[in-house]
Amino acid sequence: MTSPVKDSLEHQLKALLPRGRVLTSAAQLAGYGADGLGYKNHLPDAVVIPADAEELAGFMQGARALGVPVVMRGAGTSLSGGPVAAQGGVIVHTSALKKIREINTEGFWCEVECGVGLNDLDAALKPHGVFYPPDPSSGPVCTLGGNVASNAGGAHCFRYGVTSNYVLGVEAIMLDGSLHRFGGPAGGRGPWREDWKRFMIGSEGTLAAFTRFWLRLLPLPEKVWTFRATYPDMKTTEAAIHALVAHSSYPAAIEMLDPRGVAMVESSQMACGLPEGSFMLLVEIDGPEALVNARVQSVAEILRHAGSQDVMFSDEDALRQKLWKARKASGGLLGQLSPSYVVQDAVIPKRALAEVLQLVYDEADAANIRAVNVFHAGDGNLHPNFLFDSRVPGELEKVELISKRLMQRVIEVGGTLSGEHGIGNDKSAYMPLVFGPDSMRLQLSVPAAFNPAHQMNPLKVFDNRRFVA
Amino acid sequence: MTPTLQLTIEAQGYFSNCTHCGFCLAVCPTYKLTGDENNSPRGRLRLWSEEAAGRLQQDKWTDFYTAECVGCLACETACPATVPYGEIFEHVRHEHVASHRFKPKLALRLAAAAVTHPMLFNLAMLPARLLRSAGLSMHRFLFPGRPSALKSTAAYAEELMQRHRPTGPRVAFLTGCLMEAMFREINFATVRVLIENNVQVIIPDGQGCCGAFQEHTGLDGVEALRDQNRRAFGPLDVEAIVSNSSGCGYALGKTLQPNKQVRDVLGFLGELGPVRRPRARDDGTRLYVDLPCHLVHGQKAAGIPAKVLDATGYRWELAPKAKDCCGSGGVYNIQKPENASAILADKSAFLNEAEGAPVILGTSNHVCMMQWHSAGATGLVTRPYEVKHIIQLLDPGEKFSIPSTSPQP
Ligand SMILES: Cc1cc2nc3c(=O)[nH]c(=O)nc-3n(C[C@H](O)[C@H](O)[C@H](O)COP(=O)(O)OP(=O)(O)OC[C@H]3O[C@@H](n4cnc5c(N)ncnc54)[C@H](O)[C@@H]3O)c2cc1C
Ligand code: SF4
Ligand code: SF4
Repeated sequence: MTSPVKDSLEHQLKALLPRGRVLTSAAQLAGYGADGLGYKNHLPDAVVIPADAEELAGFMQGARALGVPVVMRGAGTSLSGGPVAAQGGVIVHTSALKKIREINTEGFWCEVECGVGLNDLDAALKPHGVFYPPDPSSGPVCTLGGNVASNAGGAHCFRYGVTSNYVLGVEAIMLDGSLHRFGGPAGGRGPWREDWKRFMIGSEGTLAAFTRFWLRLLPLPEKVWTFRATYPDMKTTEAAIHALVAHSSYPAAIEMLDPRGVAMVESSQMACGLPEGSFMLLVEIDGPEALVNARVQSVAEILRHAGSQDVMFSDEDALRQKLWKARKASGGLLGQLSPSYVVQDAVIPKRALAEVLQLVYDEADAANIRAVNVFHAGDGNLHPNFLFDSRVPGELEKVELISKRLMQRVIEVGGTLSGEHGIGNDKSAYMPLVFGPDSMRLQLSVPAAFNPAHQMNPLKVFDNRRFVA
Repeated sequence: MTPTLQLTIEAQGYFSNCTHCGFCLAVCPTYKLTGDENNSPRGRLRLWSEEAAGRLQQDKWTDFYTAECVGCLACETACPATVPYGEIFEHVRHEHVASHRFKPKLALRLAAAAVTHPMLFNLAMLPARLLRSAGLSMHRFLFPGRPSALKSTAAYAEELMQRHRPTGPRVAFLTGCLMEAMFREINFATVRVLIENNVQVIIPDGQGCCGAFQEHTGLDGVEALRDQNRRAFGPLDVEAIVSNSSGCGYALGKTLQPNKQVRDVLGFLGELGPVRRPRARDDGTRLYVDLPCHLVHGQKAAGIPAKVLDATGYRWELAPKAKDCCGSGGVYNIQKPENASAILADKSAFLNEAEGAPVILGTSNHVCMMQWHSAGATGLVTRPYEVKHIIQLLDPGEKFSIPSTSPQP
């Protein structure tokens, strides 16, 4: 389908990207309709794949004049409708910006382009004896650009902290083509005491296009022990979580699978012998060998004391990785159970865990919707997955209603909307549940300062953040 | 809108397994090459499902992206939702060829017709066998070897069986079409290795091409070949059906399941614990092992057993990125030579620096061997190296350790 407007857009894009790719045909746009929420479709008017960072800079210089929304996209694994063209426009796919420019083992930092894959970075760092701690489960594919823009978390962020704790500097290009460096290899805040790079981290593509980052690294832990303990009910599981968190030498990771998550893993190719009907905790400790070894028994004891008859632990890589693989693939495993799913990302005070989970089960059971919980228990970062079939009329609406009730309760117990997945356009409707009108107005003024017409990733985070040409 | 792509209800159901998680992107050679999501498993599945649902019209770009797929099946291994990408892809490709949206190259269409008549194919390839035997073949895909020009593998196996009378497990051996017509020396070596390990080899009459050629090109005729093989292998009372080509083994496996298992010959030998080849102490040979996609992603084998690799007597290690595709993709290197060469360039670069004298690149699929050989012939690899099937590295030659009932020649 061609139209004069589209032809002219294509023409302008080709002029802006002489070396990269410009995709405009219907079948080329179809592949870019969705992110990790496959059932939602928002077709862009065009997709561009800049050949390198210079070309991306050149594109940004001419982008304002295009008069259409600009949406940044890394690997498209967002679970909140982040990298999709909700208001049409051009998607900028950063897949060619994959250079790891420097690994500095003396200063413990690295410089990477925004399209570098997280696990590719891990693999490149390993031989140097250093690592970059944030570890979202989408690591095999997600990019650092997406990680920084959504301030990604992960299993080990309980002890290590999330992406924002590791970003030393961000290079960003605004829609007027101006290039800014916030921070750098030495970290730091900026010209005066404001930490401008903090504005960039978690901005979900609404402020600027990031081209590269300087990231903080840590020495690889000498020794790692992984524990798995199963529990008969939520109450004992919760007791174990509290005891672990309260310990003066708390673990690096505390992850939980509920019995439905356990059943899903056990009936898949990832099966690792978990007892039916159990709640599972996956716990990890790491650090200097002598220190960590000395802690093994005490962690096992905490797990047993809370009510587990089944505590296993290992420092063997093969076994540890098998457990982690099962945990990290569980988002994808859902596909074996159901065509579509919605995952919520609420964070709650840990004291409310058992209560909120019960609400999830009760609401889901009443609506005849299956719910599977696999989440970062140490952080109180819930991920209830509601399974449904998008082809059955009314199912999505049921899930949305449950989600809304859940969010209301989350706010009542003092929690918040999103731990790590971002708001995108999937959770923007819940924003007013957390923030009053004044707060919303204040927050909206930030993207408005960077791009007054809201041309960068409109209709994200705020429902009414619409681009007006 | 009426859908322009017709899919079986089954195939449509598979689409819905895809949660769009994107785990398959990172392993896909064409996505890595182009950075275009349409050129990835998740992208292709989306294009097909959108068209099948009537939301996307037939489009030359869908045809293009479909044809770009190497068929390496790395995406199946990466997919937590077990989306059977290969099955869907095969179906779509067949549809595209049947409705003239895609036309395989003439050479491939001719070859696909030829392999359905093994006798003719063998005869037609006689000059090529003679040239290879004489060391005169110069084609970039034709790695050196000395195939027998006239004696068939079946005749050879019968002869050796008579002579050595092995008493171990009985296996039926799929000799393959291109393997038998062009690279017969590997079949001969396979027979020798099996007998050396006291395995009884039978080569069923009437076996045909495994059908992989048709599957790769999307041409008609797969079912007829499958029927033929079901008749040839189905009724046999054997311990295993073995194949020395992971692609052919995978295709025959799909044909005979769930009634009969097809084993990769190296996996089968791994369980027996094969006889080790003696090598000189100061042998400086280094063996780099590549794992064919259809072995690890198709047949879902863990790899080539370490016992087998140890038995070659060489110092070995896995080639870097051993589970990544080399670009051969059955017939992909003929259909899409530029892509295939770019994929190979990345994978073969290590050979230029690899330690060892001599250096052997070992694998277990003849089409991968052809592709690896082309790395030298086209200048991607500038130092000398040999390409070998692992079974050739276990070959006793004529010096069997298993007793013989008649004097050895
Ligand atoms: C199976 C699965 C498991 C997951 N597990 C986790 C988890 O444990 N923890 C977690 O935090 N998340 C998780 N996620 C969500 C997702 O992977 C993360 O949000 C990830 O950071 C997104 O990276 P991406 O490269 O895919 O970015 P995309 O999805 O492409 O984009 C995400 C956001 O970043 C913006 N963006 C991307 N690149 C740039 C750039 N260069 N400049 C400016 N903005 C940019 C986009 O506009 C979008 O708003 C998971 C997702 C899946 C599918
Ligand atoms: S079969 Fe290989 S080339 Fe084709 S989509 Fe899957 S990973 Fe990519
Ligand atoms: S890995 Fe599987 S479920 Fe995930 S996007 Fe690819 S095909 Fe779909």
